[in-house]
Amino acid sequence: MFEIISNIVAALLTLFIFSFLYKDNPFYRFAEYLLVGVTMGYAIPLVYTNAFIPFVYRPIFLEGNFWLIIPSILGILYTFRFSEKLSWLSRYPIVFGMGIVGMGVPMSMHSSVLVQMRYAMRPIDNINTLIIFIGTVSILLYFYFSKPHKGLYGKFTNIGIWFMMVGFGASFGYTVMARISLLIGRIQFLLGDFLGLIK
Amino acid sequence: MKRQIPLIIVITLGFIFVAHTFIPSKTSVDFYDWWVSWSKAISPFAVVLGILSLFMVHGTKIQRKAPNWQYSLVTLAALVFTAFAGFAWGTSEGTPFMWMFKNVQMPMSATMFSLLAFYIASAAYKAFRAKSPQATLLLLAAFIVMLGQVPLGAAISKWIPETSQWILNVPNLAAKRGIATGVGLGSTATALKILLGIERTYLGSD
Amino acid sequence: MTFWEKIQEIDRRWIYLVVLLCIIIPLLIPFNSKTYVTEPTSNLYKKIDSFAGKEDKAMLLSFSHDASTMAELFPMEVSILRHCFERNIKVFTICFSPAAAPLMAYAINVAKEDYENLESGVDYCNFGYKPYGLFLPIVLGMGDDVSEAVDTDTDGRKIKNLEIMKGIRNYDDLNLIVDFAASSAVFSWITYARVRFGANVAAGVTAVMAADNYPYLQSGQLVGMLSGLKGAAEYEKLVDVFAAYEDEQNPDGREFSQEVIKNTWVPIMEKTISYTGDTEMQTDVELPYKFKQARIGMNAQSIAHIMIIIFIIIGNVGYFLSKKNNNEV
Repeated sequence: MFEIISNIVAALLTLFIFSFLYKDNPFYRFAEYLLVGVTMGYAIPLVYTNAFIPFVYRPIFLEGNFWLIIPSILGILYTFRFSEKLSWLSRYPIVFGMGIVGMGVPMSMHSSVLVQMRYAMRPIDNINTLIIFIGTVSILLYFYFSKPHKGLYGKFTNIGIWFMMVGFGASFGYTVMARISLLIGRIQFLLGDFLGLIK
Repeated sequence: MKRQIPLIIVITLGFIFVAHTFIPSKTSVDFYDWWVSWSKAISPFAVVLGILSLFMVHGTKIQRKAPNWQYSLVTLAALVFTAFAGFAWGTSEGTPFMWMFKNVQMPMSATMFSLLAFYIASAAYKAFRAKSPQATLLLLAAFIVMLGQVPLGAAISKWIPETSQWILNVPNLAAKRGIATGVGLGSTATALKILLGIERTYLGSD
Repeated sequence: MTFWEKIQEIDRRWIYLVVLLCIIIPLLIPFNSKTYVTEPTSNLYKKIDSFAGKEDKAMLLSFSHDASTMAELFPMEVSILRHCFERNIKVFTICFSPAAAPLMAYAINVAKEDYENLESGVDYCNFGYKPYGLFLPIVLGMGDDVSEAVDTDTDGRKIKNLEIMKGIRNYDDLNLIVDFAASSAVFSWITYARVRFGANVAAGVTAVMAADNYPYLQSGQLVGMLSGLKGAAEYEKLVDVFAAYEDEQNPDGREFSQEVIKNTWVPIMEKTISYTGDTEMQTDVELPYKFKQARIGMNAQSIAHIMIIIFIIIGNVGYFLSKKNNNEV
């Protein structure tokens, strides 16, 4: 019985949101605002239990690591974001976290540039590797806007546009699949769990 | 000084972490462990910012009786009740908190995204036009990839999934590699600009 | 107004109705269809299967998504967990966002329902939700010692005391990470776990992200990839044909074979696995819905894709004919 009620609630809220497809209405708005509230409310106890207690409360009050009072105060400084005169205080917790960007620079350079370049520099032993090579170089040159795209250079960068069109077409094809899959999931719930029409 | 000191902190910490990436010394590792323990202590307070912001926006709407202010009441009530349920009855399986997540948040969140399927169909019908040779190529590639992903495409011809895979493995790969390299260079440049104190938008305005 | 101009001006709600019918009808009347397995999926399957029965090898499933993308990612999560449970592969799960925690628990519960002897802490372990601020410390810390980096599981038990951790110390043993993501979160695993420690990384992504990850597949930074509902359907078939396959010679499943998968079909609406030619294997029970959910969804996907293509063609034909008529006028 409880499961039936749960399914009815979930299905009703699903239908409230689907009703937007016909036109904007109070049911949809109610569901939309409810979603925002529940999502935020959901995060609060989880962050309290999984972050605040183990990393702030327990080390300071139970284990006696009083140095952690300083980052706790830094964390409280976040709230000064809303103060006109003291909003500059909220910069301190932000910049403490931003420092990790130093580690990100060499690592992202390695994985998104160097490794990709290494694998782009393969021996051109068949037509496919030749196509990949031409495509990669022409696109990289296309994005180099400091040189005007004229003459032979312009013609070569134009090839990059054709490659990008194929790439975007493939992305569009996958995007259609992704969006339809999400709808299939909801319809499976409505037809299966709610109406019991699919077992 | 309100901007200079935070800048100095970012630059100093940034260079220390660059050194940490390449220098495997005990001092470097100890420093990193210290930074992690402090980050862990700062992290829960970011949620407080989000909650305060939500209360301020919706509270103002209710106070001023702005249009649709009643819905703001729904948001705040839902936030308070869900958080209260989590604290009062716990967050484990079988509690009201998890019930609300599974039967309220999960279905609505999934449904919001599933609306996109309708919009993409509507856009496909009304907006996707092969107005140029490049647009035609884009649509052709999309057709082949769409058909190649589904069993029906393979049932029509075995060349459809094979061509689809070729498109993904060759021209699409070249395109995405070129774009990803450009993005990688751009994000490295942005990170360097932050490291050197040239990029300061994260500090906000005065 | 000509016919084509009227068609162009049609109310979009009629289009929505057609979309809805194209999804509902194939789900109400499911049919058998053939799923072709692609190389990124079979590569991931082979990699996971290479850990079968090994005490010193394990894999980590990282859940980096929320309920909005469950339709695509949940079936692949259940399939991979089913594979691990069938072939005695040690599996850990972790997530860094609060929204993924119940999805993770739900996937484990759904997958393990059919396996009576599974025990948490012995066959699998759910590390639970760790705050996002700990992502880097945990990812980098697991390169030295998994128990120290993660510390406790979702039930609050110290991981170092669990039986499953015997033989598992760091990424040399926890050698495969599969990240289920709707964003570029998998890139973080590649950047930090693969670059620094050589851990194998694979992705289970929504179809939106799949096309963007092909360069990482080709460069070997990803050992395999499941792309959306199609990837889930392919993996379901692989598990049916190999890991969950039982006969006298193979009581605990069989090893991957390219020839077998190319020629084998699993008619999901029947109790059989068919091999091209005469061989047919009768299974004892009908496949539960949860293990064929993606393949049933792909039926609706087929119809929907044809519908989108027809919409684009009609839209373009109408556009060009209207334009021609206007030019003539």
